[in-house]
Amino acid sequence: MKSLIILCVMLMLFGVGCGPKSSDERVHLRSGLSGGSLGHNVVTESIKGVFEWLSGAGIVIDEAVMNRDNAAGLPQLFIAGHNTSSKTKRFRYRVEWLDADGLVIDTRASTWLPMSAMGKSPFQIKSVATRPQAVNFRMDTRKWE
Amino acid sequence: MNSRLLQIIALASIVTGGCGGSKPTNIDIVNDEGKSVMALDYRDFDKAASEMVQSMLGSGALKKKDGGRYVVATGRIVNDTMQRIDTDQLMAKVEEELMNSGQVVMTSAVGSGTDQLIHESRELRESEEFDQNTVAKRGTLIAPELSISGKIFQRNLRYDSKNQQVEYYFQLKLSDATSGLRYWQKESLIGKRGSNKSVAW
Repeated sequence: MKSLIILCVMLMLFGVGCGPKSSDERVHLRSGLSGGSLGHNVVTESIKGVFEWLSGAGIVIDEAVMNRDNAAGLPQLFIAGHNTSSKTKRFRYRVEWLDADGLVIDTRASTWLPMSAMGKSPFQIKSVATRPQAVNFRMDTRKWE
Repeated sequence: MNSRLLQIIALASIVTGGCGGSKPTNIDIVNDEGKSVMALDYRDFDKAASEMVQSMLGSGALKKKDGGRYVVATGRIVNDTMQRIDTDQLMAKVEEELMNSGQVVMTSAVGSGTDQLIHESRELRESEEFDQNTVAKRGTLIAPELSISGKIFQRNLRYDSKNQQVEYYFQLKLSDATSGLRYWQKESLIGKRGSNKSVAW
């Protein structure tokens, strides 16, 4: 039994970071597409799932960029993030735009919108302000009910 | 005496507790965490309108080169779903946001948003009862430069023996009223899966 646990831990250690690899970083080969490997099999996937659950893997926001680089010259927001979990994470987000005084601009476009990030994948959110006076933003998220 | 009073209160609470359904409550429309329904609800219209408006404004199709505002009319929005939908549920939100963007002025003279009084007031030109200086003159209405038209339609699919899939498509198009050229269009899809017992109309 003890040796089985040691074997599982070793498999897991070997398996971390050894997912199916693509020759181009921009192309993400999902597990199960390129066949099983030492690092990618039913045992290691199950153990990794438990570790992910324990470590609270999920959505991570990497960057938020605001500019006016669209054809209309309206403020727009790009949020880049990634899902550290191996499972698809579904959530809702709402972007509220703020004026120069930091007050929320009341707009019908600020509503809860759905987002889905596949496991171990990056995602991007784009939002366009419907008022030119928007200078800043705040974004809220919540679970997909 | 006290025990008698307690008995009456307990009896009253049992009797009233068993009567009627749950108490009506107001929906928190800002942060509604209620379950989805198979039919279209206000959250679906909010989502579709938000996506449409952001896409239309962000495309630059409404940005006038001289900095002025386009005159826009709402054309026909077809409801091709099995539900009784007032398409203003979508268009009122879209029009409101377009006008508040400062890039557009909507017209009530033509299109589906026509204000009949604008035309009725012009019939007063012959009336001696009205001061003719206050009656709208000929050739004062402004014609629309752009028109928005669209469609909402629904597809019902059998998902498995117990569940159905309902797809709602929101489509809007923005066209130049003079040339007929289309400058922008978008489709927003809302899909729902649920029990066959749920009615989607």
